Amino acid sequence: MGVLSAIQPFELHHHHTASTTSPLKGDYYQYLAKFKCGDERKEAADQSMKTYQNNTPESIRLISMQTFTSMMNEILNPSTPKSTVSSIFKTLIHSLLHSPESHHSQILKLITDLSSHHPSLAQLALDSLQSMLPQLTDPPSQLTIEYLDALVNISERPVEVDDSLFTSICLAASFPVRLWMVRNSGCRVMVRPKLLYPVLMGMTKEPYPCVREESLEALVRLGECAVFEEVSLVKGCYERGVQLLSDNEDCVRISAVRVVALWGLMLASFNVDMKTYWSNEVFAMLCSVVRDMNMKVRVEVFNGLGKMEIVSKELLMQSLSKRVLVLDQSPTEQFVLLASNVAGALVHGVEDEFFEVRKSVCQSLRALTVLSVEFAHAALNLLMDVLNDYKVEVRFQALETMHHMAINHCLELQENYMHKFLDVLEDNSSEVRFSARKIVRLMKLRNHLLFKSTMDVLLKNLDSYPQDEADIFSVLSHLGRNHKQFVDLIANEIADEVTASFEGNREFNSARMAALLVLSISAPFLNADVGPIPPVIFSFAATFLSRICCAFSDVMNRDTLLEYLIQKSSSMVQPEVNISNGEGQNPLAKDDVQNVAGNEMIHSEITINNGEGQLPLSKYNVQNVALEMKPPNDVGQHKQPVHDSVVLTYINYILVKLPNIWPKVQSYSANEVLCSLRHWKEELTSLTFDSSAPADASAFALLYLKIIKLVVEVWDHLVRKTEVVSGTVELEDKLEKLDRRAKELMNRFVGFSAEEEISVLELILLTYTLRLCRAEICSRNFIFKRMTIIYLRTESFLKLRSDVASGFVAELGNLIRESSNGGASCSSLAFDNCLKLFSPKRLMIPEGIRHRRAELSIPNNCPDYPLPFAPGLTASIPCDITIHNISSNCRAWVRMCINDGFTQHVYLDLQSFEVSGEVRKISYAVPYYRTPEVDSFNLKVCIGLESLFENVTPVQAHGGPKCELVLLCEEKIVYLSRVL
Amino acid sequence: MAIETLVLGAGQEVGKSCVVVNINGKRIMFDCGMHMGVSDHRRYPNFSLISPTGDFDTALSCIIITHLYCINTLFLRFHYFLIIKISHSLILYSYIFFFGIICDSHLDHLGALVYFTEVCGFHGPIYMTYPTKALAPLMLEDYRKVLVERRGEEEQFNSDHIAECMKKVIAVDLRQTIQVDKDLQIRAYYAGHFTLFEYLTLILKVLGAAMFHAKVGDSEMVYTGDYNMTPDRHLGAAQIDRLRLDLLITESTYGTTIRDSKYAREREFLDAVHKCVSAGGKVLIPTFGLGRAQELCILMDDYWERMNLKVPIYFSAGLTKQANVYYKMLINWTSQKIKDSYPTNNAFDFKNVCKYERSVLDTPGPCVLFASPGMISGGLSLEVFKRWAPFENTLVALPGYCLPGTVGHVLMSKPPKIELDPNTKIDVRCQVHQLAFSPHTDSKGIMDLIKFLSPKHVILVHGEKPKMVSLKEKIHSEMGIPCYHPANNETVSVPSTVYVKAQASDAFMERCLKPNFKLHKCSSQELSIKTLTDKNIVPELQVINEKAVFIVEDKSKKLKVVHNDEVLVMLGEKKTED
Repeated sequence: MGVLSAIQPFELHHHHTASTTSPLKGDYYQYLAKFKCGDERKEAADQSMKTYQNNTPESIRLISMQTFTSMMNEILNPSTPKSTVSSIFKTLIHSLLHSPESHHSQILKLITDLSSHHPSLAQLALDSLQSMLPQLTDPPSQLTIEYLDALVNISERPVEVDDSLFTSICLAASFPVRLWMVRNSGCRVMVRPKLLYPVLMGMTKEPYPCVREESLEALVRLGECAVFEEVSLVKGCYERGVQLLSDNEDCVRISAVRVVALWGLMLASFNVDMKTYWSNEVFAMLCSVVRDMNMKVRVEVFNGLGKMEIVSKELLMQSLSKRVLVLDQSPTEQFVLLASNVAGALVHGVEDEFFEVRKSVCQSLRALTVLSVEFAHAALNLLMDVLNDYKVEVRFQALETMHHMAINHCLELQENYMHKFLDVLEDNSSEVRFSARKIVRLMKLRNHLLFKSTMDVLLKNLDSYPQDEADIFSVLSHLGRNHKQFVDLIANEIADEVTASFEGNREFNSARMAALLVLSISAPFLNADVGPIPPVIFSFAATFLSRICCAFSDVMNRDTLLEYLIQKSSSMVQPEVNISNGEGQNPLAKDDVQNVAGNEMIHSEITINNGEGQLPLSKYNVQNVALEMKPPNDVGQHKQPVHDSVVLTYINYILVKLPNIWPKVQSYSANEVLCSLRHWKEELTSLTFDSSAPADASAFALLYLKIIKLVVEVWDHLVRKTEVVSGTVELEDKLEKLDRRAKELMNRFVGFSAEEEISVLELILLTYTLRLCRAEICSRNFIFKRMTIIYLRTESFLKLRSDVASGFVAELGNLIRESSNGGASCSSLAFDNCLKLFSPKRLMIPEGIRHRRAELSIPNNCPDYPLPFAPGLTASIPCDITIHNISSNCRAWVRMCINDGFTQHVYLDLQSFEVSGEVRKISYAVPYYRTPEVDSFNLKVCIGLESLFENVTPVQAHGGPKCELVLLCEEKIVYLSRVL
Repeated sequence: MAIETLVLGAGQEVGKSCVVVNINGKRIMFDCGMHMGVSDHRRYPNFSLISPTGDFDTALSCIIITHLYCINTLFLRFHYFLIIKISHSLILYSYIFFFGIICDSHLDHLGALVYFTEVCGFHGPIYMTYPTKALAPLMLEDYRKVLVERRGEEEQFNSDHIAECMKKVIAVDLRQTIQVDKDLQIRAYYAGHFTLFEYLTLILKVLGAAMFHAKVGDSEMVYTGDYNMTPDRHLGAAQIDRLRLDLLITESTYGTTIRDSKYAREREFLDAVHKCVSAGGKVLIPTFGLGRAQELCILMDDYWERMNLKVPIYFSAGLTKQANVYYKMLINWTSQKIKDSYPTNNAFDFKNVCKYERSVLDTPGPCVLFASPGMISGGLSLEVFKRWAPFENTLVALPGYCLPGTVGHVLMSKPPKIELDPNTKIDVRCQVHQLAFSPHTDSKGIMDLIKFLSPKHVILVHGEKPKMVSLKEKIHSEMGIPCYHPANNETVSVPSTVYVKAQASDAFMERCLKPNFKLHKCSSQELSIKTLTDKNIVPELQVINEKAVFIVEDKSKKLKVVHNDEVLVMLGEKKTED
């Protein structure tokens, strides 16, 4: 500020002469405004404007470049006050009237910018410019155009120009002026079509190529928006276009092609009788310039050809042959005249050096193939050649055209084309592949072999491009729906492969399995008849539900798909009943035998692997029989259990698969295993349940899978010891998690049979062994003790059932017996050896399995509505507790933790719960004693169950649970705030 | 004034291209080829017709060479020996046939150049394109050796002559306008490529063919040399501007042929190869090092890339490296595809093509092998053929014509056995695929070029007489352009454009700058009357062309262009004078 006030007197005194003071003073204030802020700034700016305005016409001449720049800054600056802007505006308008013409273009530019930044002034600017315009039109000059340009720029709508102004500009001597007018007419400047047309026609004869070009472009615009009633006008324009097709300038020829295409079509549509005649003429005219040396002209030609609405078949065929065709019937006079022009036009286009042209040809074929079926067939040959093009864009366009043809029912892929077409499905550009598959979706294949090869290619695709899976499934589902008869033919093959894979080791190739399932379940989609597809396929398909549901997303959502699968698979129960009723040996119809075969194979396999006689099989069958026995007409009730059984079957399938992956774990391909585990997990979590039994089963399976997954991960870590160093923390974390999960598995589920119990125990032993394998683990003795307890338990179970312990358990037993002093002496190597002996047992979901769980809700509590408490006094926390499957002799606790780590347990008397079946409910105000001296705090509440098995260390000294707690629900956060 | 065209060679015949054109007093010789079919004086153009005294320097302004054909002479010798080995009974025949073809085709655009410049003594400038200049000395030298050493002919010129001749050559680039002297200017346009005989794969496609546009004063003409209107995988189509030509001299080798799209053949070829490879078979493609091999390589490399094929492609021809160096150097002369991909990856650096090594022969599993020479006349391709032919899943793809006497020729008839000599018999169980690529412009291409350029006159050269006649009829009837097909040593004279200088009046100039039409406004009354009389045409404004221009001759016999408004004034003046 000090500097500025120092400048002022100096500056003003320095420039003293009368004529120069004023503008300079204005500049000075302007300068000042730059440094100041707020009101002061506004004041300075206003002052500068005033100074400018007061200027005499002579002195304004001296407005320097710098002034314009600073005005520009003011305009662009959004914080410039309104009053300053309007005074700038006034100044500009004022100076337009008084300053020399050389300044006008800059001033106009400023006005335009100002209007665009401050729309409130736009109308004012328009009005004042319009009022100035008439003075400038005689004769029209560059300045007129600048005014018009500014007008057009300010106005958002096209500006209307009166006839006399328009004609005078168009006839102006200076060619840039004419050029501007022609370029803008019809888009930014509105002129009556009646006036515009003759002027533009005249302009097409200009000596300047750019004016010719622009006038042709303007004619195209005119043709697009205006309607002409006289044929002669349209014809005249078309003919002018034709003349200019042989112009010497490339740019003119490009526009001429556009004019010919557009106005030619208009001409053709004038008279219905003559439509074909004129269309043919236009077609031939465009074809005749197809060998132009300019690439853009050629592109334009094909764009034009793509707009044709009707062309005679003979000419279309001629465009595919370079030789003039010899027709069967006597050719029309017109054909004879035009044939040589048309000959081979499309072939030339396809052979073009520039991909833009080739692409354009393919695009134009889109429209042309619709015109004649015979031509479509012939053009397909050309398109097939294009599929070999080296440019992705061209191949893609060719396929899009074929797709368009398919939609219009004019695509018929003969067998010899099919081979080539199937190659395209393997193209390395995903765009092209997707496009090709779009066509497959619409295809109607003629024979079984084609169907088979198409299917094979798609399946191969799954391998090479796994990222396309969803799309391929969807294509397969369409393929299946469209070709039921062919699917039926190979149904048995598919069923065999799928069944074999489900029982064998090959389910890692599950993409292929899913694909085959999609194909076969889609075949009977639209009609009720299942055909020879074994119903078991449908239940297999259910295991892939979330993966394949996208394939049917066009017709049904996931739930309806599941229902469909259940409905179809329910038919498989029928033959089962026969067997179970003891009539299994009776001769059955051939189809039935096949159906049963599929089922039986699975069952028997389960049976064998359990090594346990007939039990699981009978269990499974009984379940099904029980379902079937219900009255079939009672649909509502009937459906429900079927669903459950499907879910159960499905879960069992997953569990059955588990042992198969073990060899993979041992052969260090953990990633692969993890991948399929993850997949199964997703499948499980995506299931929905209508009743509790499958929900419990699935919870068990899910936990089991989680444990296996952790085991695999840890295993991987331990095996590749080099990486352990870096991942120590992570590994420790995982082991911790594994421990917790194993405990959950032991405690949260009841209803195991002895055999299942052993499997579970073995798994838990495995987790301990894994922990002990880590040499550096700290609480070795403790873990060893726990392991010993579990081992003894396992042993007792085994004795009870008089079973032989598996190699793993036996070895572990030896180890435990040897180390009398608590495991510390055992080397981790010894445990390593044990691990090698482990293999998971085949596990069936026990029918009576129950999931012990609890639901806890704290009503009316959220961060906004905290519960009240007074420090030091007991706070009561109202809890709604529901517990499932927990008998009254269990000991349940409510655990409450505060952030500082202090934990309080409250015993839940299960007797006081309201009992309904396996569900117990209670609303209970849990007391919390140790309320701290704070304004508010959070409490983590959850429900736990005392662990029945392990009683290694007492967890709580007094008042709390005697054994470790296993949590039954998620921790809930309770918000409490002090009562004021 | 007229343009006089003296055809010294290639008039109603193929080969020995040499045309001398006299435009407005400037004489240009286009091409300077020799005819090898004859060994006497008729081999060279009759240069004495240019100047009986032998003073060519004053008689000719310059020589323009459009392009050259080159031949792989290494192969030529190779081939010659192997034929002898293969079948004794065929030696003589093959030998003659072989050279018969060469005689017809070889060096018909520049063969006589050295003779003309060094022996006959022409010292004026010679123009050719960069690629032609780069390759010409190699070819000429090779050729000289063939002539002298193989055929034992008298030496017409020696190596020093070639070197001397090359010193006079000025290289031009595409679309570069060269002012030869005050009046004469020439410009080269891209002509695509051209090979003369399609069944002769040994003749290489050569880069750098150009069409030459020459302009003297107001007269303009184009000499095409050989050109191609259909692009190819590695060479583009001819490109030229629309010019106002008085004369177009075009070649007409394929004056009556119309060729189908070669895409279909490419497709068949790729399908056959893919089918074979995916069945685990081996593919043998016998080719020569240059030209076709490049094209096929580009084709296959693209396909491999697209289809994600991993089957190896081996290339054995040693010359490829050298050829690729030329191609890379002269990227401007290739097709759009290669130019497009050049900045990122050179199309000649094939991704899927690897160098052949001997171990490949016995490696099991599918592969593709390009082996030289073509026609399976010997060398590696014969060796591989012997090894692979007895297997049913092998495919032999012959990319072109095979001379009688070669294994390739015999193979085309698909015999069960081939007897190489009494001791060697090969069981042929393999599949055979023949590719008929034909990379030449056809009559449609010629017609298209003529149509595009719309010259006032056309002269056909370099073609057989019947074909020329039929093409001439066609040009005349379809386009109405007068057309000539002179025989050798004949002269055709066509009128040339001459612009007359005239003064223009200021008023005329002013009018010229303005649009030359006037808007005639109909009054509303007129409009209503017109509506009654003629319902169809009622534009409110009508364009009236006012193009009345008068040319008057004033007293000093100078021409003057005036506007019609001025005429009345001038007439008035004259009256008062009178």
